[in-house]
Amino acid sequence: MTKGTKGAGFPSADLVRAVLKGHSGLGLAFAALLYLICLTGTIAVFANEFQRWENPAVKHMETMSGEAAQAAYRAALDRAEGSVEHVLIIMPSEDRPWPTIRVDAKDGSQISWVADNAGRITGKVREGWTQFLTRLHINLHLPRSWGGFIVGLTGVALLSSLISGVLAHPRIFRDAFHLRLGGSRRLQEADLHNRIGVWGLPFHLIVSLTGALLGLSTIIIGALGMAVFQGDTAKVYAIFTPPHPAEDARPAPPLDLRPMFAQIAARAPRGRISYLAVEHPAEVGGAAMFEVDDGSSRLANADSYAFDRQGKLYHEQKAAQNNVGQQILGSLGPLHFGWFGGGSVKIAYSLLGLGLTYLAAGGVTIWLARRRDKGRPAPGWERVWTALVWGQPVALTCAAFAALFTPSVMPLIWAWAAVGIGALIAAALFPSAIVSQAGRAITGTLLIVLAAVHSAFFGTGDSMALIVDGALGLTGFILLATLILRISVPQKAVPAERRRA
Amino acid sequence: MSPEAHFTAVTLILGNSAAGAWMLRRAWSRKAGKAPWRWAGLCMLLLAIILAASMLGNGRGTFTALTLIGVAGLGVVASGYTIRPAKAGRAAREGLAPEPAERVPSAWRTTLRWSLAGPIGLVAAMSLGISYAVWAPGEAQTRLLIGGLIVPLAWGGAMAWTLADSRILRATAVLVGTAIVGFGAAMLRGFA
Repeated sequence: MTKGTKGAGFPSADLVRAVLKGHSGLGLAFAALLYLICLTGTIAVFANEFQRWENPAVKHMETMSGEAAQAAYRAALDRAEGSVEHVLIIMPSEDRPWPTIRVDAKDGSQISWVADNAGRITGKVREGWTQFLTRLHINLHLPRSWGGFIVGLTGVALLSSLISGVLAHPRIFRDAFHLRLGGSRRLQEADLHNRIGVWGLPFHLIVSLTGALLGLSTIIIGALGMAVFQGDTAKVYAIFTPPHPAEDARPAPPLDLRPMFAQIAARAPRGRISYLAVEHPAEVGGAAMFEVDDGSSRLANADSYAFDRQGKLYHEQKAAQNNVGQQILGSLGPLHFGWFGGGSVKIAYSLLGLGLTYLAAGGVTIWLARRRDKGRPAPGWERVWTALVWGQPVALTCAAFAALFTPSVMPLIWAWAAVGIGALIAAALFPSAIVSQAGRAITGTLLIVLAAVHSAFFGTGDSMALIVDGALGLTGFILLATLILRISVPQKAVPAERRRA
Repeated sequence: MSPEAHFTAVTLILGNSAAGAWMLRRAWSRKAGKAPWRWAGLCMLLLAIILAASMLGNGRGTFTALTLIGVAGLGVVASGYTIRPAKAGRAAREGLAPEPAERVPSAWRTTLRWSLAGPIGLVAAMSLGISYAVWAPGEAQTRLLIGGLIVPLAWGGAMAWTLADSRILRATAVLVGTAIVGFGAAMLRGFA
């Protein structure tokens, strides 16, 4: 670090200024990515609810029998064109109360079906918006390894910003309750930035660390394979995944899943099958892997079982016997997305996620306000940043709107990209205040129209779809209210000693 | 756990957290006699975590409490907002928010600094994570996962350090040295 002032306590003023320089530079370099990833992550907390919103007419069920699962899987195989590589059967759950049967063809194409409780296929699953949203968050719709790396790198930048943010603000814990609104824009934003930063710190650390590890996993495994397994990354994956039966591509009738369901019911009577993956279903070397929620309160509570074609159990891993590494691995996803404590934790995650999104956006606002205060305003960057911040909600809403008309993801990507670019072009033509107001007005209006159109044309068969529509409409009204009303905040006197501080 | 029991548990944790945050704010706002309120607040937050762990399970409960404490704390902060008079802006500005350090612009130093924060930091962090996975005792999965967690943590730390440190050659030497020693040690032993 820069040389500290002699005799000064830790951290010295010079250290603070040096760290603040790094914090500021890193935040600016990753601002747009941080904002986009945090915003989409906040919305993606409700991925299961959005999937129900996309399929409000699907019949609900609590469980699905082995007989029904077998029938649905056979029906999905019969509908497949060409050779099938895998079949993934996601069983009904509290979050998504219907089964999904996804067939992966050898040419890489995928198709997902939904079935009723007798195992009859009732139609294709609509998941365009959910897929668009989650893939935007996970890999930015780039090739998976590259996109994942960029998102992982952004997670590391966030983690680094948290470290430097705490070091750069020696009063951050002492001032943990200061929230002074009004007066200088920069100071107001700094108060919001620091308060959200300090109270959300455990959440920020959890999501950035888990997100960074998930995003960087491919490159970490690649490096590990290179360094200690002579470049064979399959050996690294093999440490974590059930072994596969010997490859045998000779054709065979589809695997019979029913005896496997019966064995699992006997082995784990309190368990609930989350999903099963059938590998090479029409080959002699076929196998089926089951993930079974053991009903415990552990974060990683999935037992796994693997059966060969004859229904012989050749792998069993109980969650209760997981070592620390397996527990960490099983906890990464739930901890990152907030899928471990029901609706209350999801709502808390969305609020804290919104705070993190504000943190990413507010950091740049502080930098811009500081430049303005010092007589070096950057009006061009102010317009670009406003267009990016308010263009993304418009672009995401347009993508959700497009999802009403098409089940595929590609048109949604185009809609999102076109609107996002359009917002940046608008930044060249209009001042940032107009761009900000227009962004809020358009997002608010579109959200209300989206909720109304969805409930009118897709029906209200699922209470969750109604709740999502209500939440979208309410968000739209709040955004419009910030424009229409000047919310008057009751004046509170600032205590004298706090003003001096 | 039934939905009703879960709701009760969450309400209890949230209430405890809000009470703890409120007590801490009492300590913060007082001129004297801060310590009892501070300790009471910290104890309430700790109690929220213990309650959560006992009702919802160790891992699930602890992380639920950490999440809800953040929400409750922000709620208490928001409830205590004050309005700063517009005229106070200049005066307040002088006493707050230090300015970032100014550095003499230098293309090679900037390039080296960002290289250290980026690819060189990544390689050094990888070497630490991988050598942990190779050398530490314990189950293979545990060593690999902890090694994996070390990578983003070490890389994030390296980023924070190199972007702040003005002695850039020292940072270069440390990161390059770490990478060589870390990967060397990992390759020497191999994974067992």
